[in-house]
Amino acid sequence: MTSKNNSKLMYVFAFVLIFSGVGYLMVTSLTQNSTYFLEVSEALAMDANKLERARLFGTVGGSDLQRDADALGVTFNLQDKEDQRKVIRVRYTGAIPDLFAPGAEVIVEGGINPESDIFLASTLMTKCASKYEAQDSYQEKAHPDNIPYKSY
Amino acid sequence: MQYIGFFSLLVSLLICVVMGAAFFWEALRSGRDEQLKSLAWMEKSQVAIFIIVTLGSLILLQALWMKDYSFSYVYRYTDDFLPQAYRLSAFWAGQSGSMLFWLWVMVLMGFIWLFSPVYKNLPSRTKGFFWGFLFMIQAFFLLMLTGPSNPFLIMDPAPAAGSGLNPLLQNVGMIFHPPMTFLGYAGFTIPACLALAGWVTGDQRSWLFQSRNWVLFAWVMLTGGGILLGGWWAYMELGWGGYWAWDPVENASLIPWLVSTAFLHTAMIGKQRNTLHRSNLVLICLSLITCFFATFLVRSNVIDSLHTFGGTGVGPPLVALMGASLVFTFFVALTGQGDRSAVDNFWSKQGMMIVTVWLLLALAFIVSTGTMWPVISRIWTESPMGLGPDFYNRVCLPLFTLIAVILCLCPWYNWRKGISDKNSFIIVCLVLVFTIVGLWIGGIRLLLPLFAAAAGVAGMFSLVMYIVLTPHVRRKKAGWGVYILHAGIAMIVLGVAFSGPFQDSREMVMAKGEKVIFNEYEFHYVEFEEILTPGVAIYEARINAYKDGRRIGQLTPQRKLFRGFDSPYAEVSVIPSLGNEIYSTILAFDQEKNITVKINITPLVKWIWIGSFIVCLSVILLVGRVRIKKADEMES
Repeated sequence: MTSKNNSKLMYVFAFVLIFSGVGYLMVTSLTQNSTYFLEVSEALAMDANKLERARLFGTVGGSDLQRDADALGVTFNLQDKEDQRKVIRVRYTGAIPDLFAPGAEVIVEGGINPESDIFLASTLMTKCASKYEAQDSYQEKAHPDNIPYKSY
Repeated sequence: MQYIGFFSLLVSLLICVVMGAAFFWEALRSGRDEQLKSLAWMEKSQVAIFIIVTLGSLILLQALWMKDYSFSYVYRYTDDFLPQAYRLSAFWAGQSGSMLFWLWVMVLMGFIWLFSPVYKNLPSRTKGFFWGFLFMIQAFFLLMLTGPSNPFLIMDPAPAAGSGLNPLLQNVGMIFHPPMTFLGYAGFTIPACLALAGWVTGDQRSWLFQSRNWVLFAWVMLTGGGILLGGWWAYMELGWGGYWAWDPVENASLIPWLVSTAFLHTAMIGKQRNTLHRSNLVLICLSLITCFFATFLVRSNVIDSLHTFGGTGVGPPLVALMGASLVFTFFVALTGQGDRSAVDNFWSKQGMMIVTVWLLLALAFIVSTGTMWPVISRIWTESPMGLGPDFYNRVCLPLFTLIAVILCLCPWYNWRKGISDKNSFIIVCLVLVFTIVGLWIGGIRLLLPLFAAAAGVAGMFSLVMYIVLTPHVRRKKAGWGVYILHAGIAMIVLGVAFSGPFQDSREMVMAKGEKVIFNEYEFHYVEFEEILTPGVAIYEARINAYKDGRRIGQLTPQRKLFRGFDSPYAEVSVIPSLGNEIYSTILAFDQEKNITVKINITPLVKWIWIGSFIVCLSVILLVGRVRIKKADEMES
C-alpha cells in the first residue's frame, strides 16, 4: 500500500515540477518576448516611443519606393490595408523577398526611430503562397522574354 | 456544370441532415437491445453521399483539366501555361477547393470503412451512432461548401484566360503536401466518431483496437505529409534556408500533431494496461477538434500570418463546430464509466510515457496560446501583442529536449515497474554523458542544443541496442516498427539541435570570376546562363565550391520569370552533405551579370530528412490486421 502511495506521490511531484517549469517559462517569455502586432493605422495611433519593437502588417505603397542597387535593402511606404492614406515610411536592410512589389501584403518587424520617424525593419516577409490571390484583371502581361534586364 | 456540382453538394447535405436526424430520433426512443431500422438506410446513404460528392469533385477536376474559366475557381488558380499536373493540383490551392477536398476524403474514408471487416463485426448500435456522428461532421462541411465557401461559383461572361497559379505553388511539394495534410486531418474523423460511438454504447476500450490502423494512417499523413514534407518544401523552395519559422499556419498543423502523438501514447497504455480510457476518448476527439482549429486558423483571418487564406465567413461556423464538439466530448467523457484499474508505478515505461504525454500536451497548449496571443491580448489592450520565434524557442525547446532525454531511457523500463536491463541502461546513460562532454569539448557551449544533440545521439544508440538485445521485440513486426520509428525521431532531434542554432548565413554581391571565402569554404562564381522557353525564362549562376583547395561541388541557383507573373522566383541549389550542407539562392542579378547571392552553411540538416523518411516508412511495419474480438472477450 505504501509503495502505491509513494508512486502516486511521485506522479504528483513530477506533474507539479513539470508544470511549474512550463508556467515559469511561459510567464517570463510572455513578458519578455511579446511584441506589438499592429496594423499601420493602429501603429500610427500609438505613441512612437512605445514602438521600439513591433511587427507591422500592411501593403507596399507604389510611390517613392527605392531599392538599393545590390538588392540588399529597400525604403518604401507601408500603407494601411483599409485606408491607403495612412502610411509609415519603412527602411529595410536585408535580402528582398521575391514577391515584394507595390500592392503586396507584407509584414515588417523592427522598431521606429523616434528622431527620423522611419521604421527600421530587420525582417520583411511577403505573404506566403496560400494567401495568394491573383489580380483580377486578366490583360496579357509582359512575357518574360520582353522584360528587360534590371536588378530585381 | 456548376449547377450539377452545386446540387450534388446540396443533395448530400440533405441526406446527411435527414438521415442523421432520423437516426438520433429512433435511437433515443428505442431500448438498448432493439435493432435499429435506420442503420441499413444510413449505410446506403453513405454510399450515395460518396457517389454524389465524388461526382461533384470530378466536375471541379474536369473543369480544371479542361481550362473552363467559367468556373470562378478555375479562373482564379490556373492559366493556359500551367502544366497539367499543377492544373489538377490547383484543386487544393484555394479555400473552397481544399474544403471540398477535405470533405471528399472524409466521405471516401467513411465509404472504405463501411466495407472493412472490422466494421462488419461491430455491434449495430455502435455502427448507428458512428454514422450519426460522422453525418453531423459531413453535414457541417457540406453546409460550408453550399454557403460561404462555394467552389462552383460562375464567372459570367467567362474570361478568356486564367489568372495563374502562384509560382511558389508550382512545385512537386504542392502535389503532395496539401492533400496529405488534409488526409491526416480527415483521417482522425473515423477514430473520433468510433470512440464516441463506443462510449455512448458503453464499450470504452474496443475502439482502440478497431481504429488502430486509421489512427496510424492519419498520424503518418499529418507527420510525414503535413509537417515534415512541409518543412522540406520550405527549405528547398522558399529560399530562406530554414524549415520551420513558428508561423501561425505551421503551428496550426503542429497542434493536432502534438495532441495526436500524445493520444498514440495513452492509447498504447489503454491497450496494454486497460486504463486511461477517459484520457483516450478526450485526446482522440481533441485531435480531431484541433484539426478543425487548424483549419480555422488558416481559413479565417483571425491571425495575421504569412500565409493565411482569405476568410469568407467560414471562421464563425468553425468556432461553433469546435465549441460544440468540445462540449459534447466532455459530456460523453464525464457521463461514461470511469477507469477501473489504477496506473502503475512512476518508474516504468508507463510512467515515462505519461510524463511524455504531459509534455506533449503542455506543448500543444503553449503553441495554441502563443498563436492566439494577438487575439487573447486584445482583451486588455488596444494594441495587440504577438509572439515571435524567440518565444517558442525559449518555451518549447526545453520541453522537446526533455522528451528526447526520456526517449533515450524509456525503452529500458518495464511496463509495470523498474528497469529491465540495468547494464544496458547504465551504458545508455554513459553514452549520453560522454556525448555531452564530447560536444562540450568540441566547442558547443549552448546548453540546450548540447543536451538535445546528445539525447539524439544516445537515443539512436539506445533504440538500436534495444532492438538488438531484445528478442521478443524482434519477433514482432510492430516491435521493429516502434523502435525504428523512435530512432528516426532521435535522428530528427540531432538534426534540429545542430541545424537550428549553428546555421551560418551570408548575403554577398559577386562579379563574374570573383572568389569569396566564407568560413572554411571558398566560392568561385564562374558562369551565368540564360535559358528561355515560352512559359518561363531561367537565369542560372554556376558557383564552384572548394574546401581546403579541393572542389566539393557546383551550386546552380536559378532565378525564374514565369509568364504572367511580375515577380521573379528563386530556385535554390544545394550541395548535399551529411555534415555541413551548402545552400544557395540568387537574390538578384544585373546586366553585367553581377549576382547578389545568399549562401547558408547548415550543419546536419540532412539528418532531419533522413530521420523523417525513417519515421514515415517504419509506420508501415506498425500497420497490421486488427484481431476482431467480441465484447465479452475484451473483458478478460
